[in-house]
Amino acid sequence: MSYIVPIGPYHPSLEEPVHARLITDGELISDAEVFIGYNHRGIEKLCMERNFIQTLVLVERVCGICSHSHAMTYAMTLEAISGIKVPKKGQYMRVITAELERLHSHYLWLGIALHIIGHDSLFMHTWDDREAIMDILEDLTGNRVNYGMVTYGGSRRDVSVEQKDRILKMLAKIEDSQNRLTEFLLSDKTVALRTQGVGVLTTEDAIRIGAIGPHARASNVPVDVRIDAPYSCYDEFEFNKAVFPTCDVFARVVVRCLENIESIKIIRQALDSMPAGPINLGNKIPTIKPGEYMCRHEAPRGQLSYKVVTNGTDKNERVSIHVPTFKNAPTIPTMLKGNSVADAGLIIASIDPCFSCMDR
Amino acid sequence: MQEYKRISITKDEIVPLAEKMRKNGVILAMIHGYLDKNGLPNISYEYQIDPGIESYYVEGEKVLPTISHIYDLAAEWPERELNELIDITFEGLDTSKRLFMPDSMLEGQGQIFVTPMSELIEKAHKKKED
Repeated sequence: MSYIVPIGPYHPSLEEPVHARLITDGELISDAEVFIGYNHRGIEKLCMERNFIQTLVLVERVCGICSHSHAMTYAMTLEAISGIKVPKKGQYMRVITAELERLHSHYLWLGIALHIIGHDSLFMHTWDDREAIMDILEDLTGNRVNYGMVTYGGSRRDVSVEQKDRILKMLAKIEDSQNRLTEFLLSDKTVALRTQGVGVLTTEDAIRIGAIGPHARASNVPVDVRIDAPYSCYDEFEFNKAVFPTCDVFARVVVRCLENIESIKIIRQALDSMPAGPINLGNKIPTIKPGEYMCRHEAPRGQLSYKVVTNGTDKNERVSIHVPTFKNAPTIPTMLKGNSVADAGLIIASIDPCFSCMDR
Repeated sequence: MQEYKRISITKDEIVPLAEKMRKNGVILAMIHGYLDKNGLPNISYEYQIDPGIESYYVEGEKVLPTISHIYDLAAEWPERELNELIDITFEGLDTSKRLFMPDSMLEGQGQIFVTPMSELIEKAHKKKED
């Protein structure tokens, strides 16, 4: 007999509001529907009523996890429209913050995944490591969530010698624990039973639906904006795309573990080869010219795109924000089909959704 | 820097272009849209040709053909979003179900999110009374 099982919009297994209807045949899911929009705050509309400085503050609040990604992408879009050249050191500071943000985002997700799987002690260990990253972000930027690191034409803060030492020390600590965590996740029977062969998104389906970011890479689709369409100073660092071929929840766990190691590599390279010079344009307030541009950034969850239209005034004519979850959420019904209701929470969480981000 | 190229097209060119792009393995990065100052829509199809974006835009058209049969959900979600947010009709797009919130929560078409709070409260009260 067929039943409809509603999940959400508010449900203990969901981090953020979303509504899913599971059409079940006994314990198995035969089809699913997803409804979004529960956290719509009208941010794009607000962007059209604020000036560029105010908008930079506003877009950083689209998301509580990848806040820097939003500010950085919006700033890069306006800089491209106006031909503003960001000093090299300012770009390095942006990249360091972006990679620290990726680390804390992936650790947050790993913790939640472990919690859903049933490894609560490891969930706490993972979040302990995440706390060390958050402390460093606070040390570097002055804030734990909305870092306020980006300004037009560069970054707001430099890194001192003492801060550099603290970052390197923290990286050594989390690299060690990440390696141990990866080894555990690859060999633990419970993790294997809960994740292997669960929530499969084949490579063909991932390409067909347009999945992006770590979610796509876990389906063996080698896409990464940092390498495919380099921006800021990413072309100056050596790192790899973390791709895994099994296309299931297990692959999504492995890809994020591998990406943490790649982020650590990028931050170390950036700190070691930090150029001298200014981090921004100083007191000069740049003029934003009329124009249109679309910029992409590899946020922790995948490709984040900003399309901005300016008209020569100090306000945006249009700011269009599309976050990775908007591209990855359509894959949820495909992944759910054929799996049990008990795995639905884990499968939905496996895309690392940010519905608040998506609803904007 | 990522390249960005803007190319104007007519609505008749949308489907052949999508077919050509799909055949060549080009990713549809996004379909963006907004209403300009005069209330006229500006819809752009952003094709990802790394390291850049080719943006094919159509101006002033409120009815456009869907490309969801070519790009599947990569086009369907952005088209449904534009349909529900700025009331653009995509011919051939299945709009029998809502993308933003279940059908029981908000009514109407186009800019449904701009429903005043007072109207929402009134509807909620009415629903309770019924």
